Amino acid sequence: MPDLPADDAGARREEPARPAAAGHDLEVAIRAVARGDERAFSVVYDQAAAAVLGTVRRVLRDPAQSEEVMQEVLLEVWRSAARFDPASGSGLAWIMTFAHRRAVDRVRTEQRASERELRAARASVDYDEVIDAVEVRLEHERVRRCLGALTELQRESVTLAYYGGYSYPEVARLLGVAVGTVKTRMRDGLIRLRDCLGVE
Amino acid sequence: MGGSRAGLHTLVGAYVMDAAPEADRTAFERHLTGCEPCREEVRGLREATARLAAAVAVEPRPELREQTLRAASRLRQLPPPVARQRDGTIAARLSRWTRLTGAVRQSWLARLAVTAAVILAVVVVGLSLHLTSMQHRLSTDAQGSHAIAQIIGAPDAKMMTAKVRTGGVATVVMSHRVMELVFTASKLSALPASRAYELWLMGPSGVKPAGLLPPAHDGMTGPMVVRGLEHGDRLGLTVEPLGGSPHPTTGPIVMMSLGI
Repeated sequence: MPDLPADDAGARREEPARPAAAGHDLEVAIRAVARGDERAFSVVYDQAAAAVLGTVRRVLRDPAQSEEVMQEVLLEVWRSAARFDPASGSGLAWIMTFAHRRAVDRVRTEQRASERELRAARASVDYDEVIDAVEVRLEHERVRRCLGALTELQRESVTLAYYGGYSYPEVARLLGVAVGTVKTRMRDGLIRLRDCLGVE
Repeated sequence: MGGSRAGLHTLVGAYVMDAAPEADRTAFERHLTGCEPCREEVRGLREATARLAAAVAVEPRPELREQTLRAASRLRQLPPPVARQRDGTIAARLSRWTRLTGAVRQSWLARLAVTAAVILAVVVVGLSLHLTSMQHRLSTDAQGSHAIAQIIGAPDAKMMTAKVRTGGVATVVMSHRVMELVFTASKLSALPASRAYELWLMGPSGVKPAGLLPPAHDGMTGPMVVRGLEHGDRLGLTVEPLGGSPHPTTGPIVMMSLGI
């Protein structure tokens, strides 16, 4: 592979490489699913299920529950495919909006505060899990470098919220900083991440 | 007051990461409707979070694929969005519909179906979890899942919820056309091992047992299909000795009128 991104690329804007899981095919497949195309749904599953499962598992931790939520999210995609509007974002972003929301709802209603406190420490350090698929490894590497380009507070605010499923008041408490600061860090952290990743 | 415009706007990061508490989220969504640049920012930041998601992808166990595809093939899909309809409940629409002439009936029927489908989507997502986990456990019970899909997918399906006196919420999705209903409940109080929840149809022809509720799974009970509804029946839930009773031995902790 000639064009593996070099490690010192730092926060520079990446090539417009999108993760394999978010290709144009996904949007095309979702449109076909809207017409009841079951084969297209299997394409959607193949392209999105792993991202859904991985993210949901970060938030929920429980592998069995995460599988259930993953299936639930994919079924929601099947049901509401006709509502997908490519003008308002990529297929993966659309699917992940369902997925993350659902994981967070589940964790907030079901997990007791004490467990959540325990998870807190892990959410930020667990980032480097074993990953096999090549595209995922590449994407992981890009994202890791872009996360590395954030300030520590930005990075912690973003990862605790997105991977940990914490609300901003909880993040503020966990990090011992003012609520307003966390809110701002979440926004400018994500903006920086967006620019670094070359999201159009 | 929820704060200044600028204050609201900084919420965008927390908002796209589902990290804004309910009140903030509502306020922000209201703000979004009138702010095109904000919607654009939400769009871009959502793409960034999708990349965070793709970076931690984990391949699901292979058998989940088949299960999910099968479950989907049984689920009715939502129709494409139509012009916004916010002018009333299903019941209100039904009563208006009865005043309409035959000429416009068709389109109203279609719109009713759409409204029902939108409301049902919420339920179905909850139920579909159970459909798939039921497949986990009872791979032969295709009939049950099919019956549920039939009812919640029926064009006249209607959803009702009621608080259970001893805790939890009961939800019924019923189709008058099929004359069957699907019952689910969330967060029912746990019972001692010697007791069980039992459903009843209570109507002019007496009280008929309608089934024992299975144990809760993740705080959710059911779904259960109830058949054999008769006009005037209401649905009741009582606590009975394990194994059930021929007649209720305690007072109903929830009673739901079915409108039949």
